[in-house]
Amino acid sequence: MNARDANVWSGPGSRRARRPFTWNALLWSLVWPQRVHRIVPTPAGVILFGLSMGIGTAAYNSSSNILFITLSLLLACLILSGVLSWLNLRGVAWRLQLAPPWRAGQEAVVALELRNEKKFLPTYGLWFSLAARVVADTRGFRPESTWTGRNLDVRKMLAQADAAEQRGQLALRTRLDPRGEARLEWVFKPEKRGALGVELASVGSLFPFGFLKKSIGTGLRAEVVVWPAPVEYQRHAVAAWRRPAGGERVPRAGSGGDLFALRRYEQGDSHRLIHWKASARTRTLLVRQFSAESAEGFSLWLRTDAAVWARPEQFELLVSFCATLAEDLFRAGRLMGVALDDEPPTPVRRMADLEAFLNKLALVRPRPGTTVVGMGAVEKQNVMIFAPDGARGVAAYVDGKKAAST
Amino acid sequence: MEKKRPQLSLDELHQLKWLLGGGLTLLALSTVAYMEIEAWELMGLTSVCAIDCTLWPTLPARVPPLVHLLAFPLIVAVFVGDLWLTASPLPAMVRLDMLLLLYRSVSYRQRRDDLQVIVLGLFLIVVAGVLTVSLLFAAQLLVYTAWALAFLLVVTLVSSAEGPASESGKVKNVAPPWAVHADWPRLARRLRAVADWRVVALGGGLFAGVVAVSALLFLAIPRFQIENSLFLDRFMSKKVKTGFNDSIKFGDVTEIQQDTSVALSVDVTDRTQLPASPYWRMLVLDQYDNGTFKLSPILRRSAFGSERTDTIVHGEVRPKLGAAVTWTFYLESGVSRYLPLLGGFEVLRFRDHQNFRLGALVDVLALRDEPLTMTAYRVEGFEISDLLFDPKFPTAARRREHTIQTWINVSPEDHVTLDRMSNEIAGGAKLGAEAFSRRAIEWLRKNHSYSMSPTLPPGTGDPLVRWVASREAGHCEFFAGALVLLARNAGFAARVVTGFRGGTWNGYSASFTVRNSDAHAWAEIFDPAVGAWRRADALEIAAAAQGPETKSEAAIVARSDRSWSARLDSLRIFWYRRIVNFDQRSQLETLKEVKIAAQSSGQHLRDTVVGAMAALRAWLAAPWSFTRGVKLVAVIGVLLALVWATWQHGREVRRMFLRGGRGGCGDPVRADASRWLARLRPAEDSAREVCAVVGELQRLRFGARTTWPAPEPVFRRARQAWRAQRSARRRVSRS
Repeated sequence: MNARDANVWSGPGSRRARRPFTWNALLWSLVWPQRVHRIVPTPAGVILFGLSMGIGTAAYNSSSNILFITLSLLLACLILSGVLSWLNLRGVAWRLQLAPPWRAGQEAVVALELRNEKKFLPTYGLWFSLAARVVADTRGFRPESTWTGRNLDVRKMLAQADAAEQRGQLALRTRLDPRGEARLEWVFKPEKRGALGVELASVGSLFPFGFLKKSIGTGLRAEVVVWPAPVEYQRHAVAAWRRPAGGERVPRAGSGGDLFALRRYEQGDSHRLIHWKASARTRTLLVRQFSAESAEGFSLWLRTDAAVWARPEQFELLVSFCATLAEDLFRAGRLMGVALDDEPPTPVRRMADLEAFLNKLALVRPRPGTTVVGMGAVEKQNVMIFAPDGARGVAAYVDGKKAAST
Repeated sequence: MEKKRPQLSLDELHQLKWLLGGGLTLLALSTVAYMEIEAWELMGLTSVCAIDCTLWPTLPARVPPLVHLLAFPLIVAVFVGDLWLTASPLPAMVRLDMLLLLYRSVSYRQRRDDLQVIVLGLFLIVVAGVLTVSLLFAAQLLVYTAWALAFLLVVTLVSSAEGPASESGKVKNVAPPWAVHADWPRLARRLRAVADWRVVALGGGLFAGVVAVSALLFLAIPRFQIENSLFLDRFMSKKVKTGFNDSIKFGDVTEIQQDTSVALSVDVTDRTQLPASPYWRMLVLDQYDNGTFKLSPILRRSAFGSERTDTIVHGEVRPKLGAAVTWTFYLESGVSRYLPLLGGFEVLRFRDHQNFRLGALVDVLALRDEPLTMTAYRVEGFEISDLLFDPKFPTAARRREHTIQTWINVSPEDHVTLDRMSNEIAGGAKLGAEAFSRRAIEWLRKNHSYSMSPTLPPGTGDPLVRWVASREAGHCEFFAGALVLLARNAGFAARVVTGFRGGTWNGYSASFTVRNSDAHAWAEIFDPAVGAWRRADALEIAAAAQGPETKSEAAIVARSDRSWSARLDSLRIFWYRRIVNFDQRSQLETLKEVKIAAQSSGQHLRDTVVGAMAALRAWLAAPWSFTRGVKLVAVIGVLLALVWATWQHGREVRRMFLRGGRGGCGDPVRADASRWLARLRPAEDSAREVCAVVGELQRLRFGARTTWPAPEPVFRRARQAWRAQRSARRRVSRS
């Protein structure tokens, strides 16, 4: 099943689902179920089948045409059930709408938008199975055969996979009018940071009579990045911050009054910041950036050496702590730049820079095989680095002094 | 803006479900009324409870919890007790079914309970249908199916609206909110507001489709006979409703005559063979005793063969050259176990195996049991005559084996009276059987008139002799009995035959219908001269009516019944012919008929087209005149007007349909623009022309009327753009 773009309308009523009509395709669709369609009888359906079998047996046994006519009526009702189910799903389109940012441990909303393209028939009683699972990095994995994988505990692996997955079901409880739209929301809490795949696993219905449970696999999937969970921490008074020499100002964006630079407009920027004259001249929307009022700020440098952060829970705490500090400092206008391991430092001038850093933090893993750098090796000014604080905690240091700890 | 139709709330859906469930219960219970099962009290109680609880849905909350606790053990105990006491499984199961329906009516139902109601109701309907094989079953099954489907639909809607967690945790003795706020007139108004006539019409059409598909399936399901069949009626003790028995008292036939329901329907392959006034003989009664004629043990022993079980009965009539006329009889239940026949026959076929005894000498065929359902049988080669040859009778009479047919069990005074009347009839002469019969009939007609409410004169002695001696009016039994007594007194062997006389030709179903009101009794007098029993009917309309000259199309048309009851009867005949009597042979015949009909209709179509073309060519080749020119112009004008009207107003009609009469986008231009906007969804890489058209369409759809561009050119350009997009999509999909 190919993953589809979650933002694009999908389903029987979407534009892409419509194919040129051919009799051949119609006949095949009648005799051969489509790949992603699944029909399972419900208990009521099993009773109906049993009833039909019983009446059929009695009809043949007794040659009673009364029973034959009852049997044929029951079979015709099954056909009607299929036709009505097809009519119900026909013309229905759906798409997923995800609204980042998502944070581990905080509620996230997956919106499912529905549209009924039919002209006068409403749609009833659909349900939607949604699943959110951590996108595993499968680069190191190789396929196993029954022989090579004989020592694997498959059940345990499957249980782990199930545990890493969250499932939800949304139901269309009201009528979806012809040419109408509806929006359903699935609220759930991502447990861990990282890349999360949200999938509309199937769309199902018991409509019209509840004999058959019909479900359609959609393959509609979207990936989102879940930022680290915010953590509580304690600030410590830093004795002496190194201020720049007199008159020396470090240029960086902020919320001051002086114009710092112009940049391209990005979605989310305030319209008040648009520089109309420059935009008119360059025929591109440009917004103003102001310089920060304060020259005092920090740079965050996160090092993920596996040797230092051997305990996974401590590493997770480190990442969360770093993300929380980065956000807090950015809000206070004191975040100057960020760096991750050996990557060159990146200045943080606007929200997008911070978001990029948080995205990196969401996916970061302990870096194996690096030398442990002592704290004294960092001699840069106002650079905040992190080190274990006891067996479980994490502390942030500025110029060798503890500035905050969890 | 489009006006949005309201939706039923969850409470209203619950109320609708409750109402439909109650209706379904009542519909199923109504079948018990004609099932001949002793459950009237239970049916009444269940019906009352179902009606009350449906109309006042808070009532089930008043049922004590103890009832719910003990309900199922009690029901099972009652069923076991019933089975043990009556030893009749099917009635016990029907009563169990009704008890379960009663319990489901007085308790709040969950989804599985609703399904149980449907299955219980279906059981009652099917059992009633199998036991009665009546046309009413077809109507009831159709109504039940439609109702049950609507019920299931609402049950599914309620389940999907409630969610999976709603099934558990319901308290049975607390009225749910929907029951407390139930207001049926308000629900009816809401349903009317919610309903869309197009959806309702589609639902009706789909149900008609279900009926059509089920009819096709019924015809197509392969049939093969499995012997040793297990049939429901074997689980029921038999009970005769009414009809002809081995013994008939005066008044029995009259009672049947009050009933105008259909007793017998007959299909005949050659309707000219149908006598003008056919006599359908069923039973011969030879023993007379104080106003009662009965079948004597002597005749039963001598005339009837041993009991056999078969589907084919071979008669005494020898096969004749040429195709024999086939008569298919549909005898209603409760009439008799003696099958109506026109006389001797070559072969008689039943649909299923039957236990029977054939009385070949008396032309009577008796089944062992009273059939509870319609009995169908097919007879070939009837020998229709008013003479029944009995070559063995003179020898047996000489050996005094059949004295019972000449014996008159009356007092000496009554004998004197009979002698007096016999002399009066014969006039002192020695008459043959035929002459005596004719004179006796004339004498009886002269002295007695026909009446359905006869009176017997007071006095002592044999009642029939008293009636003959009086001048009171009487009915067929009196006349037949009197003829038998007078003939026996004159020395002729005589007996009473009961059955039906006459009937009507149903012009709709092309079949012959005999009603219970056609029940009749007549006499048979043995004529030694010809060695046969001669029919003697004092109430015969005309002697010549039985002659072959009356067996014509004109005679049949003259007595055709084209009333409304005949229409209903034709439905019943259709039911019997095409549904009840449908078997493997009928299946093959239907296939052949379909093939022939397809071939003939194709040929007919070809002939029609060829004929029309030839007529057109001839018309065009004919010399032209002013009148013909005007006609041609008029025809072309009408065609053009039709095309123009379709072009101008067809879309409006279609739009009206799509709007559904209510709500919808009122302005046709806005509606068209909306339609084109739905089709033309510009992508990012759309051509500039498409974007421009979409802009104009949006102005037509949403903008003020004063800012509109001319609509038609916009729609034309939209059509062109849409076609261009479509061909581009096809190119992409091909590549």
